[in-house]
Amino acid sequence: MTKFDKKTMTEVRALFKRYAVKVHALLPVLHLVQRENGGYIPEGWAHYVAELCQTTVNHVRGVITFYNMFRTEPPGKYHIMVCTSVPCGLCGGDKVLEHLEHRLNLAPGQTSKDGLFSLEEVQCLAACDKAPLIQINAEVHERVTYDQIDALIEEAYRKPA
Amino acid sequence: MAKEKLLLLKNIREANYKGDLDSYRKTGGFTALEKVLSAMKPEEVVEAVKDSGLRGRGGAGFPTGVKWGFMPKGTGKPAYLVCNADEAEPGTFKDHLLINEDPFLFLEGMIMGCYAIACHHGYIYIRGESIKSAEHLQRAIDSLYKEGLLGKNIFNSGYDLEMTLHRGAGAYICGEETALLESLEGKRGQPRVKPPFPAVSGYNACPTTVNNVETLANLPFIINEGAEAFKALGTPNNSGTHLVSISGHINQPGVYEVEMGVTIRELIDDYAEGVRDGKKLKALIPGGASSNVLTADEIDIPYDFDSLMKAGTMMGSAALMVFDEDTDIVELAYRTIRFFNHESCGQCTPCREGTNWLKHMIRDFMDDNGNGPMLERVDRVAEGMIGTTLCPFGDAAGAPIRIFVAKYAADFRNHFAQ
Repeated sequence: MTKFDKKTMTEVRALFKRYAVKVHALLPVLHLVQRENGGYIPEGWAHYVAELCQTTVNHVRGVITFYNMFRTEPPGKYHIMVCTSVPCGLCGGDKVLEHLEHRLNLAPGQTSKDGLFSLEEVQCLAACDKAPLIQINAEVHERVTYDQIDALIEEAYRKPA
Repeated sequence: MAKEKLLLLKNIREANYKGDLDSYRKTGGFTALEKVLSAMKPEEVVEAVKDSGLRGRGGAGFPTGVKWGFMPKGTGKPAYLVCNADEAEPGTFKDHLLINEDPFLFLEGMIMGCYAIACHHGYIYIRGESIKSAEHLQRAIDSLYKEGLLGKNIFNSGYDLEMTLHRGAGAYICGEETALLESLEGKRGQPRVKPPFPAVSGYNACPTTVNNVETLANLPFIINEGAEAFKALGTPNNSGTHLVSISGHINQPGVYEVEMGVTIRELIDDYAEGVRDGKKLKALIPGGASSNVLTADEIDIPYDFDSLMKAGTMMGSAALMVFDEDTDIVELAYRTIRFFNHESCGQCTPCREGTNWLKHMIRDFMDDNGNGPMLERVDRVAEGMIGTTLCPFGDAAGAPIRIFVAKYAADFRNHFAQ
């Protein structure tokens, strides 16, 4: 259903109180839409959010397409972000990405057919002293090695979240 | 390792420090806030910070007290303080350390900052990717409400303050203060035309000051120990200590707190224990991806705002990236421009198109398809981005490329087509 449940609506109302006008809460509201829909903003929700935040659907779409983290396609249950920016890239980030591409048979931007993994090449994750770095959903993994990556993937296969 | 000068990391460097509200209070936390709210007028806080010479740690190095002084009075509109916790400049990770391990230090500073500019609702803008840090910070804010250190009548002073944590959604440009304000208003993060500056028309067209996390974290020391004690640290016009993020080909990457003016050589050799694997230094970027590269011969300069400016680069957010003798500067330039191309908001043509052209041209060098005229073209396109865009992004993307070409032309020539 293209509608927040009662509990989430309570959160939305609390959010609106934190800003001068409703539309200012658009980013946090879109984060809630993603949380409630498995990490993406399904078709139809832009209209609902526009109505809720008292703005136009074009404004909402403009915001969704501007920010990297807002998605209109479902990500994998494990969304893997790999930093290849300076300095991660110069400390092995590219090779980590290549390893993951090979291991998961995915290119950056793709989601596996079973919906378990998606891969994204990202810019700086603000932990450059621990390069190379990947982030799986909310969890950051520092100074990763191929073995660690393989272990994480094996674990994910064993217990799909 | 050489000894750090600990003001901001004093708690964090204690082995058993937990970073929760109780631990922070046990170290004397919130005594500065109590002093401010019970015995100081807002103007006196502004004066103290002006006297201390504190300069913003987010990148521009603008004097914080002067910035606060720009806030107009008697406009009849609410005033806002927004803390910039967007930390997204490649090479920078010092604000995350403060947020994750001692959040109450900068939060105490922020409450005092809000009081100083008569703000009753402060916002913290944290980058979207930092999900765990945001959750951690929200818990810290909640505990301040619970203890009566936020909300109505803090310390029975009659001062009320609300605080809201706002998560971004993955856009480097939102670290630019007017883009940040757009984003806080639920819009695409595209920088505004200035003037008007945020002090006149910021969040919701009201007077607004944007301050960096580390900047605010200095306030408890300035209030407790006095402006003079702060000014006694560092070099003239560059007061205090600061947090330097060191990364790249280095033995001990991490955040180091030093007085302003410690030389780059000392930072690399004495603090971060030298270039990795016994290799020689080839190049270093002193202040995040937007700052101009320095060669191995240029490291005996003091690491402060003014000395780096004089050396033709900048301290920026104090992100020192170290590159060893095996580094191909063309690859470094390519990564830098690819980052800027990805993060350009697309509003101004020189930046949107320029970063794209540069990316493709430098990619050609990576594929050993470069030539002399093309190298000149790289320089010309980069030059065309400088000073021609609404926000400093064009300069930040263009200037470093010009300097890579100027200082390391040989690396580019290695990639000429045979």
